[in-house]
Amino acid sequence: MSVTVMVSDLVKRYGSLVAVNDVSFSIEKGEIFGLLGPNGAGKTTTVEMIEGLRKPDSGKIEVCGIDALKQHSKIKEVIGVQLQSTTLWDKVKVKEIVDLFGSYYQKSLPTDEILEQVAISDKQDSYVSTLSGGQKQRVALALALVNDPEVVFLDEPTTGLDPQARRNVWTIVEGLRERQKTIFLTTHYMEEAEQLCQRVGIIDHGKIIALDSPGNLISTANLESAVEVTCRSEDAEAIFTNIKGVDKVSKEGNRYILHTKESSSILRELTHLTDENKLQLEGMSVRQGTLEDVFLQLTGRKLRD
Amino acid sequence: MKVLIRQTALEMRLFLRRRDDLFWTLAFPAFFIVLFGLIYGDTQWGPIRAIDYLLPGIIVMAVMISGIMNAATTFAEEREKGVYRRLSVTPLRKHIILGAQIISRYVIILVQTLLLLLIGILAFNISIVGNYAVFWLILTFGGLCFLAIGFSLTGLMRTAKSATPIAMIVFFFLMFLGRILFPVDVLPKALEYISNVLPATYLNDALRLIVIEGRSIGDVWLELAAIGGWMVVCLILAIRFFRWE
Repeated sequence: MSVTVMVSDLVKRYGSLVAVNDVSFSIEKGEIFGLLGPNGAGKTTTVEMIEGLRKPDSGKIEVCGIDALKQHSKIKEVIGVQLQSTTLWDKVKVKEIVDLFGSYYQKSLPTDEILEQVAISDKQDSYVSTLSGGQKQRVALALALVNDPEVVFLDEPTTGLDPQARRNVWTIVEGLRERQKTIFLTTHYMEEAEQLCQRVGIIDHGKIIALDSPGNLISTANLESAVEVTCRSEDAEAIFTNIKGVDKVSKEGNRYILHTKESSSILRELTHLTDENKLQLEGMSVRQGTLEDVFLQLTGRKLRD
Repeated sequence: MKVLIRQTALEMRLFLRRRDDLFWTLAFPAFFIVLFGLIYGDTQWGPIRAIDYLLPGIIVMAVMISGIMNAATTFAEEREKGVYRRLSVTPLRKHIILGAQIISRYVIILVQTLLLLLIGILAFNISIVGNYAVFWLILTFGGLCFLAIGFSLTGLMRTAKSATPIAMIVFFFLMFLGRILFPVDVLPKALEYISNVLPATYLNDALRLIVIEGRSIGDVWLELAAIGGWMVVCLILAIRFFRWE
């Protein structure tokens, strides 16, 4: 696989604040790469430096093998950009603006096809100013895709959207993944990173503190998971506490939560207990660690504090 | 070239959809000429009728409204909203943006002037004594010049909020010193020197020489050259200080 975006030792300072501190990563062709971090972590600064909207103080950026800092205008043809907030002319119609943006590029996709792709065809004759937040965001996506770009930059594509609209955006991004598009996405929603990204860089205070696939990040963090189960037996708590691998048992009425790092062996043991008719167990469920927990473990803070 | 045409077409369409813009550039100057026509009627100012003297001035005022007040402030507002920031990550170049703005606004200035002329001719018996072709040539120079002035000012307009006051200051400065609604002799000597080199003065003088006195193009070449000079300088400033955000 070839590298589509390569960023090395990127630094951006605002006065004494180091907004982006020695950030390096690369994105392979066809990959969805996510930068996950709280507000103010340096996500937007990083993505906007790659897009050419901000100048880094030092570092190197290559997009499709082109030096993005020296040959910025060449990059513009091959990238598609969705800014954190996209504002367009109020009195422009959806179809008009997609048409117009298409004319800016040497190569562009037919407007109908783009509108179809982001599911906004039914609003093509509406003024942009009359659209809902989710619809506006889909228009912004359309504009990012109009030149059939080599790499698409999505800066917090679902921030401020309701759950339904968020899911619509995810569906569109998943469609892009099927079509092997290279995507760089920033987000402060861990579900979004888990759902969409093949690899995730966790960024905090301008530094990338972890970088791997969501699954690997969670498993290498060796997180506590929890097995929840309901049991009416009197001696349940004592039995649970004695199971090997259970770190702690907490109880709410008849509902027990078994904290552990080895949820699968605990499940086996619980099944065993039921089989031997020692305990009557109901409503068993497992809660696995999430990227949120990974972030908490790495920084001691919650993602959305 | 294709991009320039499409961008210009979009700007024209956007203009027609904005009621504010239509009011200030078309209705407001028309209201002015009707008002002055009704006030002065056939009143004479020395050898000429007041309304004959005022028509070229009102045309210059309308051109300044289009160029400085309307075009520049609308651009500054759109820029603050982030419209041009989004365009800056496409291959679209700033020359195309400025070009489309200026061409579309120039067309609007032509329509606006035509409207004022028609009202003047039909309602108040005004006639252009000189050559119509020369009149439109002067107007083209003047229109492009004031658009260039307007867009050079957008470099100074840091925010949308500061855009209107900046445009107002320049507009009223030119209104009072540009001999638009009153002749030169009411100005103090010091101000007269400043007045003499203002683009509004050159445009007024050139239009009056053609409209009222019926002179030929040979008599207005100095004015045309001066307007052209202002235009080139301001266009360079507009490109140099163009800001995407």
